[in-house]
This record gives sequence, structure tokens and C-alpha cells, in this order.
Amino acid sequence: MAAILKDLFEHHLIFVGGKGGVGKTTIASAIGLAAAKQGHSCLLVSTDPAHSLGDIFDMTIGERQTRLTENLWGLEIDPDAESTRHITSVKTQMKQLVHPRLYDEIDRQLDLASYSPGASEAALLERVADLMGDGGSGFDLVVFDTAPSGHTVRLLSLPEVMGAWTDGLLRHREKASRLDAVLKNLGGKTRKGDDLSLIDNTERHPTGSTVGTLDEILQKRRRKFIVARDKLLDATTTAFLLVLNPDKLSLLESQKVVTLLTRFKIMVSAVVVNRVLPDDADLQGSFLRARREQEQTYRRKIDTTFSQFPRIVVPLLQHDVCGIETLDSIGQRVINEWLGR
Amino acid sequence: MASRQRRSWWKHFQLLLSEFYQAPYRGAIARAKRDEDDLFMLFVFAELMGVPNPATYYTLEMQPLLLERFHAWHKRMGMEHSPLDHFRCC
Repeated sequence: MAAILKDLFEHHLIFVGGKGGVGKTTIASAIGLAAAKQGHSCLLVSTDPAHSLGDIFDMTIGERQTRLTENLWGLEIDPDAESTRHITSVKTQMKQLVHPRLYDEIDRQLDLASYSPGASEAALLERVADLMGDGGSGFDLVVFDTAPSGHTVRLLSLPEVMGAWTDGLLRHREKASRLDAVLKNLGGKTRKGDDLSLIDNTERHPTGSTVGTLDEILQKRRRKFIVARDKLLDATTTAFLLVLNPDKLSLLESQKVVTLLTRFKIMVSAVVVNRVLPDDADLQGSFLRARREQEQTYRRKIDTTFSQFPRIVVPLLQHDVCGIETLDSIGQRVINEWLGR
Repeated sequence: MASRQRRSWWKHFQLLLSEFYQAPYRGAIARAKRDEDDLFMLFVFAELMGVPNPATYYTLEMQPLLLERFHAWHKRMGMEHSPLDHFRCC
């Protein structure tokens, strides 16, 4: 039993994803708790803006890791706070490099950046990439409660997107001045207004090689995403659990997710069918019998659609999931199902 | 006298010869430079027109470079001041 259990907990990263409301956070928490009980140090990361992690454990969990119980820590990412921190740090950096008369302009420009729609998602992704690397290295296991398709797929393409932009602009600096030199040699004139010597001529900058430091910063950030991508694509490091409910929308959404992940060569480790009417439930009334029948239809569909993945069934509970004891029983259920797969 | 005439004729000839060899390449190089600039302009304008560029957030440190380049561009296009309201470089 212990050997097969190691299988799931042998991964360093587990992503638990699915449509909103299917029970991702509960399953993620249950798994984290089970791992903690096995003796693995585990960090639970919530990327859900609604942050039900704190509600489930009945604790206040902040942006810094908070101890939940033995071997188990929790963390709630706040994308807006991350974004603000990033932009503030960029502002500080920039102000060291330009003339003070540009300070106001910098503040304006960068504040605009923080209001743009992609900013908080970008901040979230960067934090996730952090936790996949150095940020999560202190733990045996990091469990992310997150939407699997959107974020992860974007993470995969980030190194290229960044590269195209930075190379396009920074490398261009060298190319442009070489082109200029060639042009001069050929007798052509560079027109007035082409003079970007403020950038090329680094002696006129208050500090040393601006472009050099800039390049370092950007390459370091890009490397972080490359490391994250490599881990995502490594099935021995990262496991993906897809959570769904036995209903139509859940099924359709999950199909799309699997298609997307497969296209990017990310393997789904298991499909968790959550909130299934328990076998021993009293289903005398016609209402509940009808619900059960519909459920059975969807369960059969799930079995055929996701036949290539192990399926873990977790029952609907009588009460809300709150507190460690309930999580414990769910965790046990998940583990037993995982063993029986 | 004849020698000086010969020298000036020779210099003129050299100039013409240089032009003959180099002129065809000047256009290509200038075009290559323009293409680089166009790529940059595409990104900047796309950003300002609301086409999201996922790299922007991670490359905010490059903003001063963008400002300088944009300034050089509008000057080159003959515009005294920045044509865009929210990109005030001058």
C-alpha cells in the first residue's frame, strides 16, 4: 500500500484543476493533508480569487505560507498585491536610470500597466512559476489548486513570447548600430531623429551599462519560466488531477481541458469524479432517484470519455467540508481509490 | 596643370566607382533597419490600441527604451511632438 501511495506523492508538484465549483480546493486540501500525514512536508497553494482555502481550514491564510497542521502549510496568492509589488520594483529600478524629469512619466506609464487586464494574471503566473522553482523547493510536495488549462498553457508559451519581445528590442540595439555603421560606410546618411545615442552611448547614462543590466534582469525572469515549463512537461515531477462533477457542463468543460492539455503534451494523471450521490444514500423519493439516474448516465459517459485515465470517485457528503477531520476522510477515500486504480 | 587635372578626374572616377558598387546595397540595409523599426512600432501601437501583449508585464523594465525609440520615431516622421496622448515622451 505504501509503495503505490508513494506513486502520487513522489511527484514534487500536483496541479488540481477543474471548472469553478467542482470541489478543486477540497480535493487539493484532502490530498495535501494525506501527504502531510504520510510525513511529506506539503504546501497548499490557492490561486482562486475567492480563496476558499482559508474557509475550508477555518483559518486566515495569507500571502505568506501559513501553518495549517503538522507538515502542512497553506498560501493564498493575491494577484493584485503581486502586480503592485512588481510594478513598484520596476519603477524604483527605472528611476535610478533616467533623468528625474521623467519620474512622473514613469509613474504614469507604469500605473497604467497595472490597470491593464492582463496584469494580475501575469502576476499570478509569475508567482506560480516562483513556487514551482525556488519558492517550493523547501517542501516535498506543492499542491496547486488552480484552473489547469488557462494558466498552464500560457506558462508554456511564455519563454518564447518574452524572448521575441526582448530579443526584438534589446538585441536590436546591437543590430541597429551595426546597420547604422554599415550604412555610413556605404555613404548613406542616417537621418536626423535616428539618433538613439542616448541608449547606445552608455557613458551618458547615470550608471554603467544600462542595456547590460536590463538584459540580465529579463533573462533571469525568462529562465524562471523555462524552468517552470520543463517541470510542467515532466510527468515524473508534475501530476495533473482533473476534478469534475457528474453533470453535463462539468463533462464538456473537462473534455476541452483534456484536449488542450494533450495538445501541449501534458499528461492528466487521474480524473476525480466529485460529489457523487453515495451508494448507501436513502433514495426512496422520486426526486433523488431521478438525480441518481441522471448521474449514472454521466458517470457512464465519464467512464467512456476518460477511459485512458484512472478515475477516482468521491462521494457527496452530508455536510459542508470544513475542518481537518472531514478532509481526512476525503483524503483517505482518494488514496484508496488511487490504490485501486 | 595636366597632372592636377588628371588627379581630380581620377578622384571623380573613384567616387563614381564607389557609388556604382555601394548604391545598390544602401537601399537594402536601410530597408532592413526600417523593418526592425516597424516591428517595434507594431508592438507599441498594438499595446496602446488595446491588443494585449503578454510579454509587456514581464518586460516593463524596457519602458525607457520604448519611450526613447518612440520619440525618435515620431521625430523621424516629421512630428514635433508625440501624436499619442498617453505616450508623452516630450
